[in-house]
Amino acid sequence: MSLAVMIDTTKCIGCRSCQVACKQWNGLPAEVTELEGRSTGFQNPPALSAKTLTLVSFREIADQAAPSGLKMVFAKRQCMHCQDPACASACPVTALHKTKEGPVTYDSAKCMGCRYCIWACPFGVPTADWDSLAPKIHKCTMCFNRVEQAETPKTLNDQPLLPEAQERFLAGAAKPACVKACTTGALRFGERDQLLAEARQRIGSAPGKYVPHIYGEKEVGGTSVLYLSSVPFEKLGFRTDLGERSYPGYSKIPLEIVSPAVMGMGGLLAAVYLIKRRKALVAGSAEPGKKE
Amino acid sequence: MHYEAVKTDFFTRKAAVLMALMAAGGFAFLARFGLGLGETTNLSNNYPWGLWIVFDLVWIALAGGAFVTAGIVYIFMGEDFHRLARPAVWMGFLSYSFVVVTLLADLGLPWHFWQLGIQRPEHSAMYEVSWCVSLYVTILGLEFAPTVFERFGWDKLKDLWRAWSPVYTVIALALFTYLMSHKIWMAALSLVLFAIITFLTRDSGKHSGVPVILIIAAVTFSTMHQSSLGSLFLLMPDKLSHLWWSPLMSLLFFLSAVASGIALVMLMDMLVSYFFDRPFNWAMLGKMGKILWAALAIYYGIKIVDLGARGELGLALVGSNGVLFLIEVIGGGLIPLILLSTQKLRSNKNLLVPGTVLALLGVIFNRLNTVLLGMTLPGTQPGGLVGTYHPSMVEWTLAISLISAAFFFFALGVKFLPILPKVEETN
Repeated sequence: MSLAVMIDTTKCIGCRSCQVACKQWNGLPAEVTELEGRSTGFQNPPALSAKTLTLVSFREIADQAAPSGLKMVFAKRQCMHCQDPACASACPVTALHKTKEGPVTYDSAKCMGCRYCIWACPFGVPTADWDSLAPKIHKCTMCFNRVEQAETPKTLNDQPLLPEAQERFLAGAAKPACVKACTTGALRFGERDQLLAEARQRIGSAPGKYVPHIYGEKEVGGTSVLYLSSVPFEKLGFRTDLGERSYPGYSKIPLEIVSPAVMGMGGLLAAVYLIKRRKALVAGSAEPGKKE
Repeated sequence: MHYEAVKTDFFTRKAAVLMALMAAGGFAFLARFGLGLGETTNLSNNYPWGLWIVFDLVWIALAGGAFVTAGIVYIFMGEDFHRLARPAVWMGFLSYSFVVVTLLADLGLPWHFWQLGIQRPEHSAMYEVSWCVSLYVTILGLEFAPTVFERFGWDKLKDLWRAWSPVYTVIALALFTYLMSHKIWMAALSLVLFAIITFLTRDSGKHSGVPVILIIAAVTFSTMHQSSLGSLFLLMPDKLSHLWWSPLMSLLFFLSAVASGIALVMLMDMLVSYFFDRPFNWAMLGKMGKILWAALAIYYGIKIVDLGARGELGLALVGSNGVLFLIEVIGGGLIPLILLSTQKLRSNKNLLVPGTVLALLGVIFNRLNTVLLGMTLPGTQPGGLVGTYHPSMVEWTLAISLISAAFFFFALGVKFLPILPKVEETN
């Protein structure tokens, strides 16, 4: 079982409900920003931060068919929840952890604040709250513990909450806040395999609407966030140079041989010392180091 | 070999300057914790690591001089270099201690450091380095301990140290094996192996003053964390230019630490002679220069062959990264390799000194390139706003003050402890 989110950017209208819902659910403050005169247009704020764990990126791209010759494309950005995450592999204290359910979670009680995760992440996701005297790492956790945290209300408008309404509430709480808030169905939450199947089906059934690529299916060994797009992913500002190999795979080998290498190195050095001492004795010189 | 504390004035003008710089660093340290990382440094989500990490990586590489010297003197029995062992270990102990101070300042939540003791990550280079450096500092302390015992005539403590430091060392090696493998049988095997080695080399302490198992542990721990500092960057094949990123980075970091460690110890000996007005040891330095040449040849040889084998040689000819790489390899490798190539050249101090300094600068530049200059940072998602990084006043002040502290305490040790050999024995 591995949970994932599918983001069909062709359905996104850039309303940013997901962004607001994320702030609300995680109790994060607003950011003071200004509109920037860049190609990102109405995107706000410019990048993820300790206060903004998800944001909708805005891009204007040339499109003859659009009335103005320009087309807006949107993509909700957040942690990709890699199948084999570089951040969790980097973390010396397992504060970042890939759960078997799929989300990559963060436990600030363990974190030393070394920020290796920020360096290591190929997607530029983890951020630190630099304003704080105790700068913790912040990133999307796919609302990992939302169900446990959600308290089902007993009443609504002073009336007892009906059982159906309670069920609806719980069903909403079982999804990440952003998915729950999505107004157009651009976000889907579910089993990764099923979402992949659906993504393939969507691409297959509407040729021309989508580029034939599911971003996150194979990137860096696969991620638990999957994207569909009508334009090539680099035009959405996605990195397409990351390769399909998982990043922790690169450092795994040298780290796995550390223990055997300790013994090999120790044995080798001892052998050198013993041979040198033997030679010194045979050569009839004083015992080694006798100068002391 | 007999040692002596150098009899000279304790409080000199140089010492006063160093103490002033250290005081400034103390304020920088307080400012960092009083005002926070964001306020006092120019680090950001785009540049989460900066001057202090470069500084740590450089200093650890240079402090490799401690294990290289100890290995040459006590394991390869390079008696010619015996005089370097104590100052090199003292230098190493101070260096690693001050690197830990920098790390305390650099960590966002340093009071959580004890989590390293209870968490068991599987393949974290940072975890490996943290444990390995911590254990190595204790070994360096044990290597240096007899110098203190001799100074104060603590013979009983010295006997205790001789009897028990090997036991501690074997346990430390076995513990480390366990932490890195999560396997009890591996730890048990390691325990048995190092116990046997300790037994076979049990006489070594009586003869040379340091039980050789301590030196074996010192070299082993150093090999592991020097290489793992390279492994740190294996997670960044997308950011670090492939002139520096290589699957062999771990090996290259180790080899470069050996080279820079030798160069630093040579420089240390020259500076000691210069500042304490003692005779220079050009003959010995010339011999060390030969070892440095070999270390450089192996390091740069593998570096270039690896680059060629990966088919990335062409990168050296394009862009600013190519320029940085060529400066590093020609200035830090090719020129020293020429300057130190023959006995005749090495015996000329006007070639030996620049050769040594350039070899050192080459590795320093390598670390700078690896951490900052050779990186192409994508920035925080959605990216595009990376900007630049310049270390802040607080970052510079702390770094400079810790270098000052290292010089100050090194001199203090030389003045009060039997670290340097008696002058009449120095030829």
